Amino acid sequence: MQRAAMLGKCIVFAAIAVIGFTAATAQAQTVLTLWSHWADHDSKRAFVEGAARAFEKANAGVSVKVSWYEKQALHAALKTALLAGQGPDIFYAEPNQTEYVENNLLYDLSKALNWNNIEPWAKLGWTYKGGVYGLPLEAWTVEMYYNKKMLSDLGFKLPASMQFTQAEFLDVVKKARASGITPISLGVGDRDFPGAFLTHEALLKKLGYDDYDKLLRGALSWSDPRVREALVFVKQLIDAQALPSSFSTLKLGESHFYFHTKPGSLMFLMGSFYPSRAFNPPDKGGQPPDFQLGLMHYPAVDKGACNNCKTITIGGSYVVNAASKNPELAGKFLNSMATPAMGNRWLEDVLVQTGIKADPSKITGPYAGYFRDLAQINDACKFYPERPVGVMTGKAKEVFAQVVNNAFPAGLLTVDQVIEKMNAAK
Amino acid sequence: MGAIVSFLLPALTIYAAFTAYPVVRTLYNSLHQVRPARSDAYVGLGHYIGLWGDEFFWKAVANTLTWAATAPILEQALAILLALALYARIPGARFFRIVWFTPVLMSFVVVGIIWMWIFNYDWGVANSLLRGVGLDGWARSWLGDPRTALPALIFVTTWMWTGFNMVVLLAALHSLPSEVLEAAELDNCSWMKKLWFVIIPLIRPTILNLVVLSFVGKMKVFDLVWIMTKGGPLWSTETVSTYVYKRAFEWNTFDLGYPCAIASVWFFIVLAGVLLLSVLFRQRGKLEY
Repeated sequence: MQRAAMLGKCIVFAAIAVIGFTAATAQAQTVLTLWSHWADHDSKRAFVEGAARAFEKANAGVSVKVSWYEKQALHAALKTALLAGQGPDIFYAEPNQTEYVENNLLYDLSKALNWNNIEPWAKLGWTYKGGVYGLPLEAWTVEMYYNKKMLSDLGFKLPASMQFTQAEFLDVVKKARASGITPISLGVGDRDFPGAFLTHEALLKKLGYDDYDKLLRGALSWSDPRVREALVFVKQLIDAQALPSSFSTLKLGESHFYFHTKPGSLMFLMGSFYPSRAFNPPDKGGQPPDFQLGLMHYPAVDKGACNNCKTITIGGSYVVNAASKNPELAGKFLNSMATPAMGNRWLEDVLVQTGIKADPSKITGPYAGYFRDLAQINDACKFYPERPVGVMTGKAKEVFAQVVNNAFPAGLLTVDQVIEKMNAAK
Repeated sequence: MGAIVSFLLPALTIYAAFTAYPVVRTLYNSLHQVRPARSDAYVGLGHYIGLWGDEFFWKAVANTLTWAATAPILEQALAILLALALYARIPGARFFRIVWFTPVLMSFVVVGIIWMWIFNYDWGVANSLLRGVGLDGWARSWLGDPRTALPALIFVTTWMWTGFNMVVLLAALHSLPSEVLEAAELDNCSWMKKLWFVIIPLIRPTILNLVVLSFVGKMKVFDLVWIMTKGGPLWSTETVSTYVYKRAFEWNTFDLGYPCAIASVWFFIVLAGVLLLSVLFRQRGKLEY
């Protein structure tokens, strides 16, 4: 009898323990899953992991589990997981991946984020068919970096506007090449976009925002005389050997090293993510400590409709899976990153621009001057919020990548051939 | 009966899950538009008809067939020469056997990166050698020129796989009946005639198998292209596999139907190619020795 009572007590005790444990773990087991690119970007990982830990601390019973991937592997994993309905709550995406919205895979963040803390162009970049879908963490502009000492040694002085005219710029290119210096470092060995910088910045300035947008969306012919004039200017630069001979195989990282270290080029037309590589110590691929880095505008094209226009690209962003069981909580986590303090932290730690509103004047440290210069040069710019490969899809995107990104700047095609191929791909 | 089923079931289940189902599913997808969160839309032969007018597909087909037609011949020809050199016990044969076989042990990623360095315009070994012997005009961007990019890639796969073919052929040479070779020598057969009329016919089944393996490998080539050129410049190195990947994952569409149609067509073309090779190389009269 006593034994039975004892057994009964044990069972009751065990049951209470199990219920208590289950309740406790249930509370702790609200897990937000996040799949992200940037597996090999330490500073970005640290930023996101820091935000996740802070969110966990502020929200008892919630944990954020981040899985890090390389970009291509992530895209492939996401496409299969989302097709199978097994995607994470939050994942990395870029605004050009409109297929996610087209297939109703994203949760509308219109009401989930405090959009007052997000730059208007960044919000615009993620606005699609009435909804707003991503937290634009990473952003970059297309910048013309240059070696101040080299430019001075060649006998040139940058105008106060920080922008050469078309003819002046061509003269700079020719003189640099005549002096045995590669004028502009650029390579397309592992990317489908840097080679096109040279062309699409000229087109944007020549056509202005609206007509450039039409061109990219197939509503304006590549036979337009203004397009031809812009292409002719670019062709003059190409024929003047503005780019390295190894352009076709030069990789993105190598093109940085080519500019600041060996063999050294006069200019570098690159995304403003330049510091994320160049501001590392020299033994990790960074620029030499005494390197005199300067910023200038892409040259003003003749009769340009918008010579202060510039491409800005919203890069790495986070979106919420429409099939998530906790979309509001996921939105709350993203909102915890959408604050000016986090924007400044991103700038300071990651050294790349962000779509979150930040104040570069408050940045301290060795790179404060660079960020002030960057803010100054972009102050009066009008931004077009995407690269062409981000706007185009399907055949047009493929042809643009092969023709405008690679073959044209490599000197393999004439202006007429570019026009013909791009018109055929519309 | 129960025992047979229980022994066969695990293997059959794995086969059905990882081979039969994907094949059937690919064929099914090729007749549908496959998108997430929507039911598959039947499009009949729409994708196949679209394929007919797809210029990129035909460019990829031409490149892949060029590769599959030339690389096996180059590999076999070189492998036979190398295997014969080792069979004849040239000085340092052991060393050369290892050296010639080593490339196949490397991954495509490593091989691709090494050869991108070698082909680099400014400081690559290929152009440095040319400049070193005064042939500066021949130096070029090997992977950046549509005329040389595909031959350069074919050269790399030949370099990579010749060693493998050599080892297999060497094993075949060592298993040749010595009586036949001695009889040929007694008949005063020259070295060339012995090779052409005795050795090659005897190792013909091995060569056929190697050609088929090489052919199938080249018809599916992806890794090396993806690492070295991504199909460029101007689609001069686009292969069917890279095109399928681009259509499935890089064209900003979730639809897997069209890529599956390409994969299905290509499966039957590869199958037909293998059958054709088997017929062409069929041994008409069994050798007796």
